[in-house]
Amino acid sequence: MRSTITTTVAAVAFAVAAVLGTSPVQAEKKISFLAWNIPHFKAGAEKWMKQFKAKYPDVTIEWLDKKGSEWSTYYQTQVVAGTAPDIVDVQGGLWLEYASKGGLLDLTPYLKADQASYTSELYPEFLSSWVYEGKNYGVPFYISKTLLFYNQAMFKKAGLSGPPKTFDDLLAYAGKLSGGEKSGFMTLNFDWLYWSLMAMNGVEMFTPDLKKAAFNTPAAVAAVEKLAAATKSGAINKISWTGRWVKPNNAFAAGTIGMLQAHSPAFMWMKAKGPWMNKDTVGVAQMPGNWSTPNSHALLISKSTKYPKIAWEFAKMATSGGGAYDLGSSLNVLTGSKVANKKLMAYFEKNIPDAVSVMKTQTEHLDKLVGNWPVAKDAAVKEAFYPELQNALLGRKSAKEALDAAEKKVNRVLSRR
Amino acid sequence: MNTLIKKKRTRELILIWFFLAPSLAIFALYRIIPLIWNGVLSFQFWDPFKPTEFAGLYHYEEMLIYDDVFWQSLWNTSVLMASAPIGIGLALIIALMVDTRIRGRGVYRTIVFLSYPVMTVAVGIIWQWLFNEKVGLINYVLMSLGIIDEGIPFLESFSLAFPSVIVASIWQVLGFYMIILLTGLQNIPQSLYEAAAIDGAGAWKRFIRITFPMLKPSIFLCFVVGIINSFTNFDLVYVMTQGGPSHVTELLITYIYRAAFTLSKFDYAAAMTVVNFLFFVTLAWLANRLFGGDAGAVDEGT
Repeated sequence: MRSTITTTVAAVAFAVAAVLGTSPVQAEKKISFLAWNIPHFKAGAEKWMKQFKAKYPDVTIEWLDKKGSEWSTYYQTQVVAGTAPDIVDVQGGLWLEYASKGGLLDLTPYLKADQASYTSELYPEFLSSWVYEGKNYGVPFYISKTLLFYNQAMFKKAGLSGPPKTFDDLLAYAGKLSGGEKSGFMTLNFDWLYWSLMAMNGVEMFTPDLKKAAFNTPAAVAAVEKLAAATKSGAINKISWTGRWVKPNNAFAAGTIGMLQAHSPAFMWMKAKGPWMNKDTVGVAQMPGNWSTPNSHALLISKSTKYPKIAWEFAKMATSGGGAYDLGSSLNVLTGSKVANKKLMAYFEKNIPDAVSVMKTQTEHLDKLVGNWPVAKDAAVKEAFYPELQNALLGRKSAKEALDAAEKKVNRVLSRR
Repeated sequence: MNTLIKKKRTRELILIWFFLAPSLAIFALYRIIPLIWNGVLSFQFWDPFKPTEFAGLYHYEEMLIYDDVFWQSLWNTSVLMASAPIGIGLALIIALMVDTRIRGRGVYRTIVFLSYPVMTVAVGIIWQWLFNEKVGLINYVLMSLGIIDEGIPFLESFSLAFPSVIVASIWQVLGFYMIILLTGLQNIPQSLYEAAAIDGAGAWKRFIRITFPMLKPSIFLCFVVGIINSFTNFDLVYVMTQGGPSHVTELLITYIYRAAFTLSKFDYAAAMTVVNFLFFVTLAWLANRLFGGDAGAVDEGT
């Protein structure tokens, strides 16, 4: 009797488990992917998921997408709730804080293991943007860096034939291009995008060990003084130091800005607002000295993931070969994969010829990338430095006073817990 | 008999608590517990990725001694709050005007009130454009009238950015103040004015002796809304200036958000929230005292 009962109970339990799919052997594995504001890539993402499902039938990918302004809030609340997304698409230096606190998976062993089949396909300069204390925490998802856009019609009217070659040229050109409602130069300022202006004056942000501020030098004071004077005269539009994305890009698209320092995604965004913009009307060049600040996106894996290997496989699929091509052709961006980019350049030449010259700049002079220091307190340093720089650039303090104050604040940030 | 009354009272009490329980539970869950937890958090080193450690007064020391942005944002919040009477005064003037029998007063009331239901983000965008140095309407008008030669960068200026935000803030809430004050005005019995007129009181005296005292509860409400507004006016600042340039338009609420979600300093943000809360409670208490100390009390009548 007892054995009958035991057998019956076991049979029922097995049947229930089979019906509910709770058997550990058959349990479906779920991986979540947190994207950074790419809702228009939904079809591409579905294609990826289908492909991945064909290879890993027991894995389901959950696709989450958040706007840039909500991304960090969402990610951190998910971490606190113990449900951190497995794979995350991050922009700029946000990841450094997470990496330094042990929130991210070290991808170095994975990159080494897949050196021949995957890692060799990536640009080492972009890949190294995601290294913190010798460990690689991310792989490039899509890449971008700053460049100089210039309004050809305004250049012609001002008697200028080509882009500026030095910092002083840049300011002199800006002066010639400004007047009335027109400004000569504008820059995006978030995520250190303006730092090329300091780099071309030989200014270093940190000491080589990244432990102290190194920017408070006579060269930096002179550079800031010149920028402040140009801002005061109207040669540089003040929005350079106060706007983020919409205002500066809108202003250039309106045709009232001579030169704009922005990264490549700005071009497609501006083109949608300014129908006059094409390869004949907008000149494209590197900033003087070929300095640029990357503003790439990377895929990183949360340390809390239950399935690191599967997450890694998905990240690889999304950042190489056909997966990367799908992304690049859908978002009109280049990726971290040299192989995919070759195909993408052909795609741009055929479909968006106006963007070709812009895209070409994105993989040139990769030895001159600045503003991507692997400092864990990147966000706090930015908060300490930039308001003081604003004080100088907008005429509230002298350059010396502002840089002195900024140095004090940055060193305090670096020395505090 | 007494036992019966006692039983009835007990049953009534149980019923009252039964109906109150869901609201109290929600209030505790979303208000009291977070408030307590926030207080605890402010004395800890807390991080989503690391185990918690006791911090003592570390965050308070950082905030009160070293963080000049905190003081700037506290000052700005106070200034924004202090601007509430300007809005209330303007709204009172408008309310008095549209309370008279002028033609089209309904239209005027609607026009003034229209600003209030507009989404704050939209208000921010509208005023951002109005204040634009190159293409803004305000600069266009000033230049057309020959008052200025070149555009004023209102939102990029250290001295004008915050007043510009205050103007937008007052504009948005003006309609609400006006409706509250108008309702108050219409609730004042006409007989009081008639009696005062018989006694020979002029318009100013009637305003001082009747209108203003009778409007006190409405003014108090507007003032409290103004205080709340100054502590919660996140969206307007975020859209118009993002707290800049160089924190001159930073409010406590925007700085708390920035500390928590841009700098990932949740513990420090919690400490600032505690100060924000204490400041707010003190002000609400002071406002209550100022208006006689019985605001919100139910008049049980005679």
